[in-house]
Amino acid sequence: MLLMAKLYVAILIPALVLVVIAAIFACVLAFLGRKLEVKRDEKIVQVESLLSGANCGGCGFAGCSAFAEALANGKADLSACNATSKANKDKIAEILGTVNEGEEMSFVVCCNGGSACEDKYDYHGYGDCASMEMLAGGRKACPVGCMGAGTCVKHCDHHACEICEKGFASINDARCTLCGKCAKSCPKGLIRKIPARAKVFVACSNHAKGKEVRSYCKAGCIGCGMCQRVCPNGAITVVDNLAVIDYSKCTGCGACAVKCPSKCIKTR
Amino acid sequence: MNIYFTIIVGSVFVNNFVLSQFLGICPFLGVSKKTNTALGMGFAVIFVMSLASVFTYVVNEFVLIKLHLEYMQTIAFILIIAALVQSVEIVIKKFSPSLYSALGVYLPLITTNCAVLGVAILNIQKAYNLLQSFLNGLFAGVGFTLAIVLLAGIRERIHPKNVPESFRGFPITLIAAALLSMGFSAFSGMFGIS
Repeated sequence: MLLMAKLYVAILIPALVLVVIAAIFACVLAFLGRKLEVKRDEKIVQVESLLSGANCGGCGFAGCSAFAEALANGKADLSACNATSKANKDKIAEILGTVNEGEEMSFVVCCNGGSACEDKYDYHGYGDCASMEMLAGGRKACPVGCMGAGTCVKHCDHHACEICEKGFASINDARCTLCGKCAKSCPKGLIRKIPARAKVFVACSNHAKGKEVRSYCKAGCIGCGMCQRVCPNGAITVVDNLAVIDYSKCTGCGACAVKCPSKCIKTR
Repeated sequence: MNIYFTIIVGSVFVNNFVLSQFLGICPFLGVSKKTNTALGMGFAVIFVMSLASVFTYVVNEFVLIKLHLEYMQTIAFILIIAALVQSVEIVIKKFSPSLYSALGVYLPLITTNCAVLGVAILNIQKAYNLLQSFLNGLFAGVGFTLAIVLLAGIRERIHPKNVPESFRGFPITLIAAALLSMGFSAFSGMFGIS
């Protein structure tokens, strides 16, 4: 019995000492915290609550909180954030007294090649697109062809990038938070922004002449100009052997996608 | 030789916390990109180390030893250091927001900085009295500041240079730190301090 009592004391006293020390410090800290409280700018708090809160780091700042601070201090531009919805961006712009000109965007992969595009060599070895790119500019015969080794998949934190069964990358809009990491990671720069309302996009990035493109890729833009001719709104022009869509004129009728001989104008 | 002189020279040069005892390497590498942030970090460490030395000495002498609880040194010291760092953070946040944002995540990291705990425990091991503990803490902090500012100066000069790609960033910094540490090893045995 006595031994048990001694044991309890031997445990209780140290615990008590620690609790007392901790309590003293807690009081001091609470007092300091109250006394020296730093009021955060109301504007920053509001802006932060309107940002998406994804903390993806796509804007180049350390999270949404740091971005909100930079916005309030005029050190950042709202367009740097891809993840926040247009409605919220408008509200933020109102708070900051600026105008939000940005339109809601989404990302697309501008290549339709994959298995339709010939390989220059067989790649055996460690790595992804980035290491392939170092070896004679990638394994595809097309200098701007998606190599399908999944660097974008690896960089996407939201599982929105995938390599489809045809062998090129595609982006799942429902999952994409528009952080833009995939676009930065792609060594060919094939992942680009288009307006979210766009119904069609050109899934090829090759500026070479039609004959050359045909020699290695069945799905590449040959610059034939068919889309330019069928577009009722004059929204498409072929610039430097590649179709370019002017989204301010495009109504999304889809006539170009139907007529395109290589099927490289895709609907979404 | 005068013990105070020994403590001062010993903790700044001979037993420099970073360069010869390898304590506090995390902020040494993390906050040494720019000289002025390194200096800010150094002052924060000096401040926390000297305060921690005094507080831990008092708590050890008048609470732990009296109650025969010396085995609780580590946990009690960590508690004290954590509370100190928190109060330093609150004070800096209020009075120097620029230093606060420059130190960033590294200020809370002083909480778990082994150099601070190290100085507290070494004070006890070497049986220093209150003044000696304080001096040891203060000048260990000065030694830390000296090391981190020297490294920051070196890094600022290395940064724009054409360093081979595989050595860019931390590798070349570690090499610089190693050379710095070798330089400091020249102090060992000086003044009869080991």
